[in-house]
Amino acid sequence: MKSNLNRRGALKTFVLAIAGAAVLVPARKAKSIVKSLLVTTPAPAGYDPFKHKWLMAIDIDRCIGCGLCADACKTENHVPRGPTYFRTWIERYIIKKPKPGSGEIRGEVIVDSPNGGINGFPPSLVPREEILKSFYVPKLCNLCEHSPCVQACPVGATFDTPDGAVLVDPNYCVGCGFCVQACPFGCRFLNPETKTAEKCSLCYHRITRGLKPACVEVCPGQARIFGDLLNPTKDDPLQAFLQKNKLQSLKPSLGTDPRVMYANMDKEVR
Amino acid sequence: MGGKKTIQGWASEYQYVVSGWLTIGYFRSQLKNNSMRRVLPPQIFMLVLLTLAIVGSYRVARHFLTPPSFGEYGWYRGAALKEIASRTPSYAGRKACDECHSDEIGKLAAAEHKNVSCEACHGPSQAHSDDPDSHAPLKLADNLCLRCHEANASRPAWLQQIVVADHYQSKAGGQHCIDCHQPHQPNEAPEEKKPS
Repeated sequence: MKSNLNRRGALKTFVLAIAGAAVLVPARKAKSIVKSLLVTTPAPAGYDPFKHKWLMAIDIDRCIGCGLCADACKTENHVPRGPTYFRTWIERYIIKKPKPGSGEIRGEVIVDSPNGGINGFPPSLVPREEILKSFYVPKLCNLCEHSPCVQACPVGATFDTPDGAVLVDPNYCVGCGFCVQACPFGCRFLNPETKTAEKCSLCYHRITRGLKPACVEVCPGQARIFGDLLNPTKDDPLQAFLQKNKLQSLKPSLGTDPRVMYANMDKEVR
Repeated sequence: MGGKKTIQGWASEYQYVVSGWLTIGYFRSQLKNNSMRRVLPPQIFMLVLLTLAIVGSYRVARHFLTPPSFGEYGWYRGAALKEIASRTPSYAGRKACDECHSDEIGKLAAAEHKNVSCEACHGPSQAHSDDPDSHAPLKLADNLCLRCHEANASRPAWLQQIVVADHYQSKAGGQHCIDCHQPHQPNEAPEEKKPS
C-alpha cells in the first residue's frame, strides 16, 4: 500500500529529533546552574588546581609530642572528638635497650598514641635507663602517588586532585569502608556523624586560600613543613628541607609511593 | 586542560540520539512501503531497532545522571573540589594576627618563641580576626607551658625541658610559669609583678 506519508513521516521524525536535542542542551545547562547555586559558601575564586602541587614533609627530630597539631586538626575540620577519629595524630616510639648479653641490636619497640596525642603524652612507663631511644612520629595521609584507597572506592568518591591532595567527595561516598581497609597507613576512618569516609584533606579549604594547613600553622617545633612544589617562594622552607635532609617515606615496600617525606626516621617506624 | 564542554562536545553527545531517530524514521518510512522487508529479514531489522533504542536511551540517561562537572579535573566530580574548598577556616594564620598585633609579633620574633605560631597557644582565632569586638581568643590555661616543656624521655634534646617538681622553688601558694617568665620572651621576667 503506497502512501504519501513516507516523506512527511521521515521529516517529522527528523524535526522532532532536532527539537529534542535543542531542548536537551539548555535543560542540562539549567541543571548545572541550579547545582552551582545550591553551593552556599563560595570557594576561593581564581584558584587553579593545575598550577599547584602541595607537599607535606615531617622532621621527626623536631617533633616534641605536644599534640597541638592533632588538636588543631580536629577543631579545624570538625572531626568528632572520640578517640578513634583522627585525620592526623602522633605516635610515640620507645625502643628499649637490648637485654644484656643477648647480642641483639635493639630491644623491644613500644608504640603508643594515647588519644592520638591530643592531650600530650604522659611520662612513659618505661624507666629512662631502659630506653635506648625514643621519639615522636606525626602521622597523616601519605598522599600516595598510587593511592590504594582511590583504587578501592567502588563509587569513585575519592580521588587524587591535580594539586596533590587526596580528597573524599562526601556527597558521593556511600560509607562502605573499603578505603579504610585499603589504606596501609590507617589514615582513614568513617565519620559517625556523616557516615562517610574521612581523611586528611591537607586542609584543602585553607591551602586554596593561601593559608597553611592547621597542623602546620600551630606546630611549635617546625616538625611539619609544607609548601608548593610548583611555586617555591623565596627561601622556601620545603625546598630547604628537601635539600638538606636525608628523606624516607613510610612502607616503601608496598609500592604506593607516598609523597609525604620523613626526615631522621628510624627503621622501626612503620 | 579544564575539559569544558565545547560545541563539538555537545554535537558528539547528541549525534547518537539524532542519528538513532533519523534511522528509525528512515526504516519506518521504508517499512510502510514494504521495500525494507525485502532487503532485511524482519528479525535483523528488529534487532537493529532494539540496539539503537537501548544505546540511545543509555546515552540519554547517562547524559542526565552524570554530574555536570564530571571530568573537569579527572575521573570524578570536579565541583567536589570547590565544595570542599568552600569550608571556612577556624585558624586565621599568623598573617591575620600581624594586621593588628604586629608589635607583639615583633617582640616574639626576637626571642626563643619566634617560630611558635600565635594560635598554637591562643587557640583558633578566625572568629576573633573577623570580628575582634565580640570574639576574644581563648584564655590560656595555667599549665599550657607544660604541654611542651615538661621533661619527657621522648622529647628531642634541643627542646628546653623541666621536671616540674625540681624546677619550681617551693613557695607558699600556687605558682605559675608566668610569674617568672614572659610567655613571649620566655627568658625575661615579667615587667610588673602580677597580683596573685
